[in-house]
Amino acid sequence: MSLSLPIAAVLLFMLGSALAAAVLRDVVGSIVAFAGYSFGVAVLWALLRAPDVALTEAAVGAGITTVLFLLTIARTSVSRSERFEGISLRSGLAVVAIVVTVGATVPALPPVGAAGTPVLAGDVSQYYLDNAYDQTGVTNVVTAVLVGYRGFDTLGEVAVVFAAGVAMLLVLRREAFV
Amino acid sequence: MSERTPEPEADPTGENEGSLSRPGSERPAYVESTIIMTTVRVIAPFVLTLGAFVMLHGASSAGGGFQGGVIAATTVVMLGFAFGIEPIAAHLRNEHLALLLLAGVGTFLVVGFGGYLVGDNFLQVSGYETLFHNGSKYSIELVEVGIGVVVSGVITGLFFLLGTGVDTESNSDSEAEGDQ
Repeated sequence: MSLSLPIAAVLLFMLGSALAAAVLRDVVGSIVAFAGYSFGVAVLWALLRAPDVALTEAAVGAGITTVLFLLTIARTSVSRSERFEGISLRSGLAVVAIVVTVGATVPALPPVGAAGTPVLAGDVSQYYLDNAYDQTGVTNVVTAVLVGYRGFDTLGEVAVVFAAGVAMLLVLRREAFV
Repeated sequence: MSERTPEPEADPTGENEGSLSRPGSERPAYVESTIIMTTVRVIAPFVLTLGAFVMLHGASSAGGGFQGGVIAATTVVMLGFAFGIEPIAAHLRNEHLALLLLAGVGTFLVVGFGGYLVGDNFLQVSGYETLFHNGSKYSIELVEVGIGVVVSGVITGLFFLLGTGVDTESNSDSEAEGDQ
């Protein structure tokens, strides 16, 4: 994959905000850096022409998760004694080990956008692209797959969202949302 | 972790350093800001419209129930930040939020089980073509609206649960109730 300038800039921004989220001592600053990271991911999806995922990442990752984090952190006490988190040698070594291990798998991945990747060359995705409009009448193939072809999976996702609300009531031992 | 030295300026008492929750009296209070209130008043209808647009246009452009539901719920979140969480919570009733959740899941299930009536399988949206023109498209959009309604209800509920949340008094009350 040839790294274009916008994508490289977004990746650099993501790396910086991820590091800031990890090492900032001030939790509120850390949350804001994390929101910046999510926003970078959303922009990256948009640049890679996945607008559906980008919209979800921007709304859920950068938007509502940040709000919920801030609400939660307002209920804890925050120490602002130093600007940066101290990093011990052991945790530094652990991070390096994880990065090296996960990074070693990256060359095994096919290049982004290569014609021979299974997702492009496979029969299933070609079937969806060929037949989605005729069979479902929906012009957005993502929605056609989500609800038309894989509706049962989506029902499971809705059940997860529903369960999140119920689980929150259980954890907080309340019977009402408001 | 580096050495933790509680600074007098940051935490005058020092006794809450590192504790998981702090008493309600020491939480940052709601600050009334004219700028935030005016801004929210102006943009809230547009945000709600955008949410409905994204929810309803998932079939023909980028978007769908999950994204649209979150954007629609953001309206309530913004109102909570601008006017205080408790006053907004006082305007809402728990039955309405619970009804949102149930209506969303119910819509999905009705469309799903309706697949048996018009076709052979659960969630067979193509079967709705026999009922009316563009039936599969409209049933998919109905499912998307159902998803959006569930998501917006859950996000709003989570926001108020975390915002009004566990107070020490109400928590001990519910524990006492649980013991009985």
